[in-house]
Amino acid sequence: MKKIFLTVLFITSSLFGALNVDTTYSTLGAVAKKIGGDNVHVVVLGSSKYDPHFIVPKPSLLSKLRRADLLIINGGGLELGWLPPLIKSANNGKIQAGASGFLDMSHFIKMIDKPASVSRAFGDIHAQGNPHYSTDPYQVLIMAKVIARKLEQIDPAHATEYKNNLEKFLSEWNVYLKNYDAKMAECKTKKVVQYHELYNYFLRRYDITNIGNIEPLPGIAPSSKHTLQLINAMRANGVKKILQDVYHEKRTAKFIAAKTGASVAVIPHDVGAVKGSDTLESFYNMIAQRICK
Amino acid sequence: MVKKITFLSLLAAVSLMADSELDALKAQLKLQQQTTQKLLQKVTELEKKQQQAEALQAKKAKEQEEASLDAAFAKDTSSSFSQTSYLPDIALILNMSAVGRNVKNSDYENFAIPGFIDAGDAELPFNKDRGFNLNYAEVAMHSMVDPYFEAFAIFHLHPDAFEIGEAYVITTSLPAGLRVKAGKFKSAFGRINEKHQHSWNFDEQPIIYKALFGPDSISDPGLQVQWVAPTDTYIMAGVDAMQGSNDRSFGDTEENNLYVGYLKSSLDLTDNLSVLGGVSWAHGKTTEKKSSDVYGVDFTFRNQLGSYSALTWQSEYLQRNKDTNNTNVATQKQGGLYSELVYQYNNNYSAGVRYEKITKNETDLSAYSAIDTSNLDKYTAMVQYKPFPFSRLRLEYSHDRTKVIAGQRKDIDSVMLTLNIAAGAHGAHAY
Repeated sequence: MKKIFLTVLFITSSLFGALNVDTTYSTLGAVAKKIGGDNVHVVVLGSSKYDPHFIVPKPSLLSKLRRADLLIINGGGLELGWLPPLIKSANNGKIQAGASGFLDMSHFIKMIDKPASVSRAFGDIHAQGNPHYSTDPYQVLIMAKVIARKLEQIDPAHATEYKNNLEKFLSEWNVYLKNYDAKMAECKTKKVVQYHELYNYFLRRYDITNIGNIEPLPGIAPSSKHTLQLINAMRANGVKKILQDVYHEKRTAKFIAAKTGASVAVIPHDVGAVKGSDTLESFYNMIAQRICK
Repeated sequence: MVKKITFLSLLAAVSLMADSELDALKAQLKLQQQTTQKLLQKVTELEKKQQQAEALQAKKAKEQEEASLDAAFAKDTSSSFSQTSYLPDIALILNMSAVGRNVKNSDYENFAIPGFIDAGDAELPFNKDRGFNLNYAEVAMHSMVDPYFEAFAIFHLHPDAFEIGEAYVITTSLPAGLRVKAGKFKSAFGRINEKHQHSWNFDEQPIIYKALFGPDSISDPGLQVQWVAPTDTYIMAGVDAMQGSNDRSFGDTEENNLYVGYLKSSLDLTDNLSVLGGVSWAHGKTTEKKSSDVYGVDFTFRNQLGSYSALTWQSEYLQRNKDTNNTNVATQKQGGLYSELVYQYNNNYSAGVRYEKITKNETDLSAYSAIDTSNLDKYTAMVQYKPFPFSRLRLEYSHDRTKVIAGQRKDIDSVMLTLNIAAGAHGAHAY
């Protein structure tokens, strides 16, 4: 009991010296680990098992934010529903929006699907564009460069190490991308539907057309009328693949699959969302494999 | 003779040779002159072309500059001092209800809770009338002030009153896990004191909160300091120094009199199951300038069943020890609890039940000597439908056995359908 009390009370000793880097989601966390190496301790706040829009703001996340030296967010409005109250109560000046320990990755990404007009009448749309850029393996290059630059800035003592890590990682990742593109060139799937517009960055990169979404509007549950329309559109376009994420209900996708003869593929939206997608490589491999199969 | 001939022929040959060489040289020179001329011509031509191109480019650049200047001039300058991008986030919250109740409005307004609220003393800002109620329109604003302060304001508009619900600033850059809040705010006492009516799990306020603090709970001008420990486990300690104008438990008007202290902690028991617990203590002075203390214990278990599904069990116990001028009971000791279980089925539907009880009522109950004042409790059930995260319909039924109307115990049954919407830039709610 005494021991538990001590571990509860005191800062984990192994963390001394290392820079505490919190990321809101797991892909950002995986890239931060690659660049930071042994000099950083990476904590991922939002589990990839859950809808990234609705991470539960558990008080335990407060103690993680309290000690962070750097907070890397996905941005694009994805954290709007859960992160601001946590930052408000974590009492850590370093990671407030605008401070040097706050990094919004979306500012460095070429965002797609920017709505021409914004109203909640269109559902839960993001004014800054589609925030789900992590499904495109090319975005990893940008994430790595930006994170390296930020780490050099706030931890100049280890700047050379971050630079070296970046160089090494980029050369590895470029090789990976070359092989990946070769694999994707043979991908037979050219048309898909998806539950939520989670995979648009990936689909656009590899010229796969999204015919429609299972949800009628972002964040609105499927309706029978919309589902029938989608089934007709899938038949007309010969769509044989339904992209399903891990956290939405799967009944509607199965129903549509039964009506259209399409298959349902559960695609991870973030590193670790599906068993066996715990590394950057296995995550993107699984996306390609399950979409193209 | 031979010599001479040889000499002459040699001379001739030489002169002949010289002649032909000269011609060849001349021809070569001419050719070269022609080439040079051609080259020179080409050079001048090219130079001319280049000059033309440069002139054209310069002209184009000038035209462009002119065009952009024209465009700039054409622009409306009336927005030079516009600060729209600094506008605070603004949200509008509307809360309304349709209520059915087995008690007439005039009787309901004059209810009493034995030992806590005397007849006619209750403030009833929410869902008071049978039929339709517009409870409030709330305007919430939030903005960064500068790199050091963040400001929040909640303007609470009742049909016939304007009230500053909260208006405060918090610091954003203090070191060592510290944060200071200043202004009018809801104290962080207990679990739901800090929460606004529209973010409660049930529309009706827990009886013990209503009895000890009234509908606005502990909400006063004051100063708050909170500290989050740099530990793996969440531990937060805080102190609120407040005016203490809440006359249900405090209310000394001569000076600021209320001090609230609390300690909160949370553990993740598994990846999906977490518990949040807290102890709180509020110490103040009553309108009679006597000491009044309220102690609170709370815990919340939340088991996450999926992204949109969870089971939450939340309970609080509050006890007040209040000194009085009453010679029969020098120190009132009163307490009560609520315990609620809410099941969120998906992002649209949830349902919940709540049990409440007054557990301790050691006070002067001589005014109620004719009736039985034991077993003061209440049962509530609700189902809720959220078409979207920003709108909510809730059907709530309650069976209330805590009320006395016209000197008699009266069980109140009520059914209400409430609609709450949050339009605009409404921030996320805390845990």
